[in-house]
Amino acid sequence: MSFIEVKQISKSFRVAKKKSGLKEAFKSFIKREYQIVKAVEDVSFSIDEGEIVGYIGPNGAGKSTTIKILSGILTPDSGECQIAGMIPWKNRVKYVKNIGVVFGQKSQLWWDIPAEDTFDLLKDIYEIPDEKYQSTKNDLIKKLNLEDIINIPVRQLSLGQRMRCEIAAALLHHPKILFLDEPTIGLDAVSKQLVRDFIKKINRENHTTIILTTHDMSDITTLAKRIILIGNGKVLYDGSLKKLKNQYETKTTIMVKTKDKLNIRKKGVLEKIKTKDGYQLVIHLKELSISELLTILSRKIEIDDIEIENESIDDIIVKLYEDYQI
Amino acid sequence: MKIYLKALSMHLKSELEYRVSFLLSFLSQIFIFFSYYFVILSLFTKFSHIRGFTLWEVLLCFSIIQFGFSFNEVFARGIDRFDRLIIKGDFDILLVRPKNILLQVLCSDSDFIKVSRVIQAVIVLILSLFHLKIEWNIFKIMTLLLMLLASCIIFFGIFLMAASYCFYTIQGLEVRNVFTDGGKYMAQYPIGIFQKGFVLFFTFIIPYAFVNYYPLLYLLGKKDSFLYGFSPLIVFLYLIPCISMFYVGIKRYTSVGS
Repeated sequence: MSFIEVKQISKSFRVAKKKSGLKEAFKSFIKREYQIVKAVEDVSFSIDEGEIVGYIGPNGAGKSTTIKILSGILTPDSGECQIAGMIPWKNRVKYVKNIGVVFGQKSQLWWDIPAEDTFDLLKDIYEIPDEKYQSTKNDLIKKLNLEDIINIPVRQLSLGQRMRCEIAAALLHHPKILFLDEPTIGLDAVSKQLVRDFIKKINRENHTTIILTTHDMSDITTLAKRIILIGNGKVLYDGSLKKLKNQYETKTTIMVKTKDKLNIRKKGVLEKIKTKDGYQLVIHLKELSISELLTILSRKIEIDDIEIENESIDDIIVKLYEDYQI
Repeated sequence: MKIYLKALSMHLKSELEYRVSFLLSFLSQIFIFFSYYFVILSLFTKFSHIRGFTLWEVLLCFSIIQFGFSFNEVFARGIDRFDRLIIKGDFDILLVRPKNILLQVLCSDSDFIKVSRVIQAVIVLILSLFHLKIEWNIFKIMTLLLMLLASCIIFFGIFLMAASYCFYTIQGLEVRNVFTDGGKYMAQYPIGIFQKGFVLFFTFIIPYAFVNYYPLLYLLGKKDSFLYGFSPLIVFLYLIPCISMFYVGIKRYTSVGS
């Protein structure tokens, strides 16, 4: 039995059909037509303690619904789920002591007063003993660089500063599992980096299991070794990012700087374009590996400089979405 | 309780952040209150009494209802503003915390400006008691205290019922105002002055009559039975369906979603 075990969870919602136009609006006011939308369907996966998992998928794929089920907010229509030996939607109060949740688009901090006051309230809500609270708080302040912002009313903080406080608030009670719902949404590059480094650090030091949803693929590349892709409510891919890359990254572009003339006729080389100070080569990775190409090149010409352009993870995801038609 | 008190002090701190606005709102509340008061005063310039109730008797009733209503606006504002929690989605955040939901909703908001109304209600109460010649005894004092308590309880219940309504639809919230503001407006007068249908409605459906009519009759010496004096206790029963409705609402929320 894994730490997080999700088996065939399904959840559907009844959504009122809305058509455009005033006439239709009146009609639907009198008699609503409903439509059943399957938010998640037969979702299964298991996650071990201490893993970081990126949970990705396009908008409306069912990410938030899954997170809500896992955090005990929603009860699924069918399926089983056990997390740390408990069923999230049963015995809510006991279960939620084990989890921390950060909703990127909602705030649990009080708007008009400093974040530290919210922390103090959370201390009582989670019944954290004084000593432990102080040491955890100081630790979080240090790691998230909060000294200067913790005493300023939250409404005056920047988005990045606020997100750092949000994350600290979710970790005061040492949760075993941390759910991050789009934690880097709208943050600048520096804040993003800080948040990512911190997430890595707590995963390493406290062995916290982290489930993270995001649209920012660089979040995934820096943080998660494993991704779960969901589309139209179904799990489409579950595995390592590397494998996914190997599967979808078929072509790569290599820029070679050289003064020599290059003649290359090898299976796998798809394109050769002469540039100002060298050549641009496109190779098919299934037929020719980069190292093979380099050996050939070094035998033939004097290489001044070389640059390998990887296909970005965003491109891969777009391909993936296209493949699954989501 | 400790959590609730801490949350209250945090709300006070939040409101004091906006000093000028706080003071102005506090003052404006006094004028609003007196506009209510003048409606009643002007009625009594035409009539010396309404169906046997004199000015000070009506004001006693008025102040007790105002007290309960304002008390809840200060201390149960979270329930009154529950629709906001649902609309903004912040209710989800309460659900992932290991404490009773109702307690957390209570902690979520508070309106200290309305303290000024509570104070005004108490002033009118004291004035009316001063002008009324009530033969005090221990039971009548108890009755008065029970009336004040019941007034707080009934509005708590009504707020809670209105909040439960948010689980079903967040549109058409005006319906709930019929019960809160509309009910409050009527209950400012002794229910007995209205027609029979209203009296029955406010006895059995929303038991305002047990807050300000039956006990009032005992207090003023119009009825002698102790039953009248202790009738405010019935309001506590009213809490049972209100609280259960709220919990049914939470169940529905977790199974249907927002």
